[in-house]
Amino acid sequence: METVGFLMDGFAVALTPYNLMFALFGAFAGTLIGCLTGLGPANGVAILIPLAFTLGLPPETAMILPTSVYAGAVYGGRISSILLNIPGDEPAMMTCLDGYPMAQQGRAADALAISAIASFAGSLIGTIGLIILAPVPARFALTFGPVEYFALLLLAFATLGGITGKNPMKTVIAAVLGIMTSTVGIDISTGTQRYTAGVLPGAGASLGSFISYTLEKSVIGKKGRFGEGDIRGVVAPEAGNNGAASGALVPMLTLGVPGSGTTAVLLAMLISLNITPGPLMFTQNADIVWGVIAALLIGNVLLLILNIPMIGVFVRLLSVPPMYLLPIVTMVAFVGIYSISHSTFDLYFMIVFGVGGFILRKLEIPMVPIILGLLLGPEMEKNLGHALILSDGDWMTLWSSLLAIGLWLVAGLGLVLPTLVGPILCRRMRSAVKEDLVSD
Amino acid sequence: MTGLGDRILGLFLLVVAVAYGWVAQQWPEPFGGAESVGPETFPTILAVVLVVGSLYLMIKPDVDAKWPVGESALELVISIVVLVAYALLLEPLGFIVSTTLAIGALSWRMGAPLRQAFLTGLISAVAVFGLFNYGLSLSLPNGLLGGF
Repeated sequence: METVGFLMDGFAVALTPYNLMFALFGAFAGTLIGCLTGLGPANGVAILIPLAFTLGLPPETAMILPTSVYAGAVYGGRISSILLNIPGDEPAMMTCLDGYPMAQQGRAADALAISAIASFAGSLIGTIGLIILAPVPARFALTFGPVEYFALLLLAFATLGGITGKNPMKTVIAAVLGIMTSTVGIDISTGTQRYTAGVLPGAGASLGSFISYTLEKSVIGKKGRFGEGDIRGVVAPEAGNNGAASGALVPMLTLGVPGSGTTAVLLAMLISLNITPGPLMFTQNADIVWGVIAALLIGNVLLLILNIPMIGVFVRLLSVPPMYLLPIVTMVAFVGIYSISHSTFDLYFMIVFGVGGFILRKLEIPMVPIILGLLLGPEMEKNLGHALILSDGDWMTLWSSLLAIGLWLVAGLGLVLPTLVGPILCRRMRSAVKEDLVSD
Repeated sequence: MTGLGDRILGLFLLVVAVAYGWVAQQWPEPFGGAESVGPETFPTILAVVLVVGSLYLMIKPDVDAKWPVGESALELVISIVVLVAYALLLEPLGFIVSTTLAIGALSWRMGAPLRQAFLTGLISAVAVFGLFNYGLSLSLPNGLLGGF
């Protein structure tokens, strides 16, 4: 059981007072960010990344901070779902279905406590899964050649796109736009200058688009309505969400391919720390990987301790009207970016990205594949290049192994299936819940 | 015409894709002669995929989103102007003054009473300044309040 040994080492890293302090701060800040109307985990992590750099944190702490923010934000998002019926991100929509009606029946505290416990259980199971599963793909990945990696990267775009977008073609377009941006600069294998321009801060883009979007929402003002108010409707999605949150870390840590928008931001963080995620990280940076995993476990415990007594505070925070809250959040995001470079030039960049992001959002071009493309583009090109050089330019090499073909197939399905199956599943789940209520 | 937004986007992307693909073909052959894979290989694929995508958008556009018009469009433009002004004034005026003005202006435009809006701005600016400068020892510009 070498894994257990590694995990113990991980705990030794995560339990140092310094790291523990950041885990606590991260979990708290994450919950706060998560419950602010619609900010969501990806943006929460993105806001705090500049902080990790400007403070010059050591790599393991720099990773522990956003990971705990992530765990906190996933939970925090539920608070706004339950109390305001505003889902912070897509997965929180399921919690809205029954959490909000419970709040309307005066059982808000119940719903919040239940979701805290369900989150805890879910993320605990998810993290245990992570511990057991993480080394497996890493070992497996060592047998991957460039052909398989290229297919795997495609799969990442396809599955993530399938989740984030309504129109698969727009997901493809978004991914291509992101990858195109990543080809700006010097070609790694030949040294040719390509589309040379500036460097683009990706996190600012997602943040900017969010801010302008919510600004518009609050100007226009709209509300949706969901389900009926069944406790089980809160428990299931909560446990699922947090399990999935830990689960999304598996491909990110082991293969360097993020499983969700937030893990994409975490990946950017790792890359900027000069750590290459992937199979080798488990041997080269074992302390960081296991430190992060242990921090996730500790973070979940902290969250449970923190959340139940703090519910009242979060509820009060939520009652701050958006007309005060959003400008403050906008400014904090600005300051975060400014404090890295001390250059107002980056602020103009953020504004431009914000406007661009707003337009893309209106056109339903999903943001996540763009950021993902920006991050994974170089890796994709490198693997494609290697594969083609090894095969002397024969393109059929991309489908030369069974594994690669399998990945291509799954990628294709991942892109198309959600648009076909999604609506059917939703309808089924709705009617299933209703039948349950009747039979009670 | 329905789906105008997507059609315009498609047209724009088509131009981008063609320009991007065309530029890729102009690069000189890398030192050591042409190989099966050059600097233009990957960009060319991307350009082709984007051409297909943009054509698809023009032929089969989605239903148009509701674009902000009239007053709300104006509000959005105002908030962008406020943000640009903030970036311009951050260093000359200093963090506290410019942040107070920016948060105040944005809150006010979002419907808060004038006095409360700027009061909120002042309080949060001072709090964030304190947090960054003293809590995290990351210096933010002092500007007008130089002696701080």
